[in-house]
Amino acid sequence: MKIVLQFAIVAMSIIAIFTALLFSGQTDIFLKALHASALFGFLSIVVLALIWYERKLLARIQMRIGPMRVGPFGILQTIADAIKLVTKEDIIPSETDKILYWLAPIVVFLPSFVVWTVVPFTPSLVIQEMELSLLFILASSTLSIVGLVMAGWSSANKYSVLGALRATAQLISYEIPIIITALTIAMLANSLNIIEIVLSQSSQPYLLLQPMGLLLFFIAALAELGRTPFDIYHAESELAGGPFLEYSGTHWSIFYLAEYFNTFLFATLVSLLFLGGWLGPWLPGIIWLFAKIFIVISIIFWIRGTYPRLRIDQLMEVGWKGLVPLSFTNFVLTAVFIYYKWPLWILGFLGLMSILVIMFAFKQQKSSQPPSIMLIPSSEVRHV
Amino acid sequence: MSNESTKNIESVDIMVNMGPQHPSTHGVFRMVLWVDGERVVELEPHIGYLHRGSEKISEGEIYPQVVTLFDRLDYLSNLNNEMAFCLAVEKLMEIEVPKRADYVRMILCELNRISSHMLFYGTMGLDAGAMTPIMYGFRERERIQKFFQSVTGARMMHNYIQIGGLREEPPKSFQGQLKEMLPQLSKAIEECDQLLTLNEVFLLRSKDIGIINGSDALELGLTGPCLRASGIVEDIRFTEPYSLYNEIDFNLPVGVTGDTWDRYAIRIAEMRESIKIIEQALELLPDIGETKAPGVRLIPRPPKGESYARVENPRGDLGVYIVSDGKDKPYRVKIRAPSFANLQALRKMSVGSYVADVVMILGSLDIVLGEVDR
Amino acid sequence: MFSGLKGLIITLKTGLRKPVTVQYPKMHAPIQERFMGFPALTWDFEVSEPYCVGCMVCIRNCPTQCMTATMGDNPLYAEGKSPRRKIVESFEINLGRCILCNICVEVCNFDAIEMSYEHELSTFERNGRRVGLAALLEMGKKYQKESSWIPPIAKGKSASKATSDREQAI
Repeated sequence: MKIVLQFAIVAMSIIAIFTALLFSGQTDIFLKALHASALFGFLSIVVLALIWYERKLLARIQMRIGPMRVGPFGILQTIADAIKLVTKEDIIPSETDKILYWLAPIVVFLPSFVVWTVVPFTPSLVIQEMELSLLFILASSTLSIVGLVMAGWSSANKYSVLGALRATAQLISYEIPIIITALTIAMLANSLNIIEIVLSQSSQPYLLLQPMGLLLFFIAALAELGRTPFDIYHAESELAGGPFLEYSGTHWSIFYLAEYFNTFLFATLVSLLFLGGWLGPWLPGIIWLFAKIFIVISIIFWIRGTYPRLRIDQLMEVGWKGLVPLSFTNFVLTAVFIYYKWPLWILGFLGLMSILVIMFAFKQQKSSQPPSIMLIPSSEVRHV
Repeated sequence: MSNESTKNIESVDIMVNMGPQHPSTHGVFRMVLWVDGERVVELEPHIGYLHRGSEKISEGEIYPQVVTLFDRLDYLSNLNNEMAFCLAVEKLMEIEVPKRADYVRMILCELNRISSHMLFYGTMGLDAGAMTPIMYGFRERERIQKFFQSVTGARMMHNYIQIGGLREEPPKSFQGQLKEMLPQLSKAIEECDQLLTLNEVFLLRSKDIGIINGSDALELGLTGPCLRASGIVEDIRFTEPYSLYNEIDFNLPVGVTGDTWDRYAIRIAEMRESIKIIEQALELLPDIGETKAPGVRLIPRPPKGESYARVENPRGDLGVYIVSDGKDKPYRVKIRAPSFANLQALRKMSVGSYVADVVMILGSLDIVLGEVDR
Repeated sequence: MFSGLKGLIITLKTGLRKPVTVQYPKMHAPIQERFMGFPALTWDFEVSEPYCVGCMVCIRNCPTQCMTATMGDNPLYAEGKSPRRKIVESFEINLGRCILCNICVEVCNFDAIEMSYEHELSTFERNGRRVGLAALLEMGKKYQKESSWIPPIAKGKSASKATSDREQAI
């Protein structure tokens, strides 16, 4: 009964806001609000499909089939899970700071939805066209870290606080490679408007000019999202359960939703900034965009199924000792190339070479002392 | 914040309780850690949550019933446990097991070793954070368990190795099934190896973690792959050979540093060696032979005396000590469980390392709580 | 670097393989011929009575003491139709306690009890799987039909040879 009441209140307040907007004469704000709600609905359906796809893909990698019962091939499984989460009892520990506890999911969730208003799916399909859309996206997605700290602190649990601080450290340190690499792309395109960045890739996608940038952005995005191999802060088999330990039911599902919105956002950013967005022959642009997003997301899930996870100090090492210097070098190199107007394909070539050099350096270091064990034949053992 | 202001601040170590119900302690096992920041200062294991009184129960049961108890001790390597008990009783009664039964016993024990190590591989991956190795490991376990079902009748608690030999003749499809299964197992072991062993992230998680050197290991009573990881060449199949291991040639994997990675890699190598053992035993297997030594009753009555037998469990050195007073029930059965001794090294390995490493170290010791608590 | 990429290729290859899941309860993994399910009492079709005479050897040797039975005089013996002087009157097994160890089958002198292929045990009560004589005989008849059962001892052969004979028969 309580759930029906809550649902009714939410629905009626939304309708009230819309009618107020309609009758106040601000038709363009009303239209934008309508579009934003449609976007929210569309994104929710995309998230449902993503969760289903992740479970199926991971299952196939593990030689099993994923959900099959609820709906044909398990399509409705996510809806069943969502219903289960919403109808669960909201257990709130007694010593929590109530206001912070209730605000934390909202602070985590809102930035991850607000940035979607400036992401262009095609040059005409964007809710609010902004000149500084890239800057807006990167700046807003940093705001959800505050929500993480609020969540960890307000649960009266020392492990949540530890987990929240660890998560904050991880997320803040991996913002730097993301921002620097995005700035490199903005330098190459000479604008911060995503639409112009994509249009300037009509001759070649930035993948060819910045292979190193793509790798760095991708790995840093994995760490930002909290995906394996960087998912220590919400891993269950580790000690501290992370900042979301005390959340259950609807509260937790908002965090989960925010995580998947973010995954979709970063996959879209990779496709827009590096892979050429909606550009492509024959097919309409939006199909190209979704195909590219699909490939990037599949790679993200594929990596999740294969790699173990890093410890928190190793994670920080990889970030500060590996990604940050590399991203700065990439940035300076690109700046030099642009200033002296050297041909840019050399830049791409240099990027590829540096990736290969780093890989071979790893291999050299390993094969000089490869980890191995001795195999002693039985004749020798029996002798002794 | 200068050094002056932090000098008089008292700091307390946080006590973290990895309670009996935890996804990464393998079984009901409780660890209390005192943690200073991220480093472990002190570790206290609490066991006994799975104590079932096996030794006391076996004083009131006839010998075939005690075999079923031993099945359930280390529930991942049932046939090795049955083997230990039967060897002890056969030593006491001075029975010689017929050759065919002995070869079949050896083949089944080595298959059980592979299946136990596959589970170790899966849980090690899960502790490190990878979620696919466990599925691959259990896929291979399914293959082996299906084979066991066709030979012994049960997937896990077999009650097949009995005093004097086997319970019944292996089926006609025994050799055919094995010849079909062994190449599949080899291929799967290679796949599992390539997925995890040299993975960079896994190496970061397991190299130089939980190091214990040879003399410390010997003092603490470690046996099995954990001891061999520290460089000591010691395997009961070589030092006190039982069954027909003297006629088989296989390599012994021995580690170099004594860290978690060595303990893991030795078990993967042992799986390959087990396949070699099974192939050689299949060739030497006589076509006809008896299943039980002649003259052994269903409910034997060993003469008065005592005996001790050791086998190489997948976890180490399993020892069974039997005192008999001539009746059909043993007077005392004492079990020396390898996981119980291995667990004592946990504290030495973990103090000073990170909290996330304790999970990996515990996983690499490969304890089974059924054995620790009996 | 490269070993990690090798791992990715392995997961890609397994991703393209056929999955190994058996969708229970729609499908069932095949049960092997020697599978030891729950014990069941066998029925002598020639004389139309159970093989079991109620001698209690299996009950005495059960590790978990999950069986009870009573023995009674056989009315068919008095009529001269059956060689058994005594016959089982009631037999109860608490299937929740049985550990499927096969000891009762080994010690039985009359081929009366066999491990059937039943293994699906779910009830809503704690001691809900206590089966009586009628249910056990039903299970036994089903098992005898499924496995073309030849009573080992009654035909004068030893138990292990009977198993290999059973395989040859199938």
